[in-house]
Amino acid sequence: MTTHPLPARPRPKQPDGTARTDKSKAKRRPRRRSRYAFTIPALIFLAAFSLFPLLQLVRMSFSDVTSATLNGAWPFVGLANYVAGFESGVTGAALTRTALFVVVVTVVGMVMGLLAAIALRTRGHWSNALLAVMVFAWALPPVVNGSVWKFLLADDGLVNTIARATGVTETALPFLYDQYWALGAVAFVNSWAVIPFNALVFRAALLNIEPEVFEAVALDGASRWQEVRHIMIPSVRPTMLVLLVLTIVYGFRSFDFIYVMTFGGPGDATNTLPFLGYLQAFSRFQFGLGASTSVVAVLVVLVLAVLYARSIHREESE
Amino acid sequence: MHSTRILRHHRRVTAVGAALAATLALSACGGAGGESAEEGGEDQTVTVWHYFSADNQVALMDEYAKKFEATNEGVTVENVYVPYDQMNSKVVSAAGAQTGPDVVVFNGAEWGVLSQAGALAPLDEQWSSFADADQFPDSVLHGTEEEMLAVQGYVNLLGLWYNADILKEIGVEPPTTIEELEAAMAAAKDAGHEGITLSALPQSQGEWQAYPWLTSQGFDYSDPNADDLAAGLAMANSWVEEGYLSKEATTWDQTVPFQQFTAGGVAFAENGNWQMGAAEADANFEYGVVPLPLGESGKVYLGGEGIGIGASADSPTLAWEYLTETYLDAEGQLLAVEKVGSIPAREDAAQDPAVVDNPLLAPFSATLAELGANYPDSVIPVESVADVQTSMGQAWSAAVGGQQSPEEAAAGIVEKLQSLIGQ
Repeated sequence: MTTHPLPARPRPKQPDGTARTDKSKAKRRPRRRSRYAFTIPALIFLAAFSLFPLLQLVRMSFSDVTSATLNGAWPFVGLANYVAGFESGVTGAALTRTALFVVVVTVVGMVMGLLAAIALRTRGHWSNALLAVMVFAWALPPVVNGSVWKFLLADDGLVNTIARATGVTETALPFLYDQYWALGAVAFVNSWAVIPFNALVFRAALLNIEPEVFEAVALDGASRWQEVRHIMIPSVRPTMLVLLVLTIVYGFRSFDFIYVMTFGGPGDATNTLPFLGYLQAFSRFQFGLGASTSVVAVLVVLVLAVLYARSIHREESE
Repeated sequence: MHSTRILRHHRRVTAVGAALAATLALSACGGAGGESAEEGGEDQTVTVWHYFSADNQVALMDEYAKKFEATNEGVTVENVYVPYDQMNSKVVSAAGAQTGPDVVVFNGAEWGVLSQAGALAPLDEQWSSFADADQFPDSVLHGTEEEMLAVQGYVNLLGLWYNADILKEIGVEPPTTIEELEAAMAAAKDAGHEGITLSALPQSQGEWQAYPWLTSQGFDYSDPNADDLAAGLAMANSWVEEGYLSKEATTWDQTVPFQQFTAGGVAFAENGNWQMGAAEADANFEYGVVPLPLGESGKVYLGGEGIGIGASADSPTLAWEYLTETYLDAEGQLLAVEKVGSIPAREDAAQDPAVVDNPLLAPFSATLAELGANYPDSVIPVESVADVQTSMGQAWSAAVGGQQSPEEAAAGIVEKLQSLIGQ
């Protein structure tokens, strides 16, 4: 295939038919500046509700803040909160748990999201109905979702009842109270909640593939798996990169499901970084320590945010 | 009633109290704006923050609202539910923003957290002119040496609820010792029932429920000993291993295990007097209560909700009137007996037939007299209470859930306790 250079864009004409001059460009500058003025409300909003709290969080993490000092001056303590968190071992342990949690959420969320998108790629009553149900599940507040799953995974809940009835197990599976199962179960529920979003995004990408492409590979005798392997996955790869970063960030900042389903237990088995920060700040009232844990989490999310921005940029440039 | 003399127990925080006096005085000035509004004769609202979610407890709050509105024309009581584990942080945050409730109903043991943040207005002036003040024992008054900050309208504590039908079926009497309890749980299990329900949530509710069993094995906050603590944790762990207690307890707050009990099929429940209404409404079997069988060293916390006036209350005078006509009123306290099964703090209400003739309340009264202990333990410094409760709740949860062996859990927490308590 050959490419042809685009013809040079004609210089815009003035209403009187003459070419626009540099003088007219100069006249446009104020308009461009006024265009930027429209971003001011959003910038003020961001500064007030994102930047300022973030700066306060960082300041708090370097201060000795408890319920006694929260509403007064915050004594500066340098890195003491960070050192205390890592020396006690709780921050390191929470980081490890968070990493495991994120791996489960990302793998299950991405794979199941893609599979759901492939299954629901065609338009029809069934796929529309299923999509509606998925959007409903996705839109439910995590507290509601978590409570429902807590019932489902209880000893006498639906999942264990089915497991016993089908002979999978004789005793209840310890979904929420075994230290290993609990982290996996909450991570799975977190993944379940993100599958609809991922499926919708993947589906949108799949719908961009021209039908003729599928007709062509069908004529060539391609199997369903070959369609997936050689047509669909390459087509959604740019979307996949963006979605991967978003899913990792989602998994990393997950808090609600842990709060509702295990409250960090048994013991501290499901204390991920966000939940540890919550416990330190709002249960032990060591706001400085909690802030330092949260800053560690924010730093990781920031790295992911940079990756996200770069992948978006790359996708746009493609 | 055991007198915990809480005011005297907090002499060590005199310096903190002095510093807070200035803060609270400023806060009280902030509330003065509300008083002028009262004088205007406009419709007023008393905002009450509470963390009750059980039907009978919510019904009591509604009754209190109705009672107060009936005698105060133009006044509306707005009961606002705040989840238990968010209450303190919300009140503390609100205090920083010079806002918050007129009345706050909180875990009485955690008054120190609110006090340190200057979130409660001092009640000394109102209390000194309160005609019925002498009806209340010191144990239900909370505050520093300088200031009284909260009061309890009633006392809540734990007992051993039993399913009389199951005990009859297995041919045992309600237990009076731990050995009898374990034998009864074993017999219940053999008969196809569950042994006991309790909460092992890794937070303060877990610590509240763990305390009786841990102290029964010799554990004492005044001298935290890893062996004694391990023995208490091992006892609970053995109940799990024997199949008397489900590990699911690690995910239950105090409401869920009682729902499990009232659903039937469980011989015992470690739960509180406030569940009386829930038992009456939901249990389709004969039931009763006995004091927790804890041996010589075992103790039971004397808990209950602390009631205070917010430091930034819009109308502190009206808020105080609300307290005197509901929580601190004899009739109001008997409403709590009727609706919730609480044990009144007032001496006259505690002698009412509704209390003394109630067979379900009698075991709690006996526990209060024989096993009652300060909540929190008076050796724990105010600033360490929340940390101690959360840490101990996690250790209890870890032992019940099997995340750690009792010895590991005990060793891990004792060093921290020594540091927090300053032993």
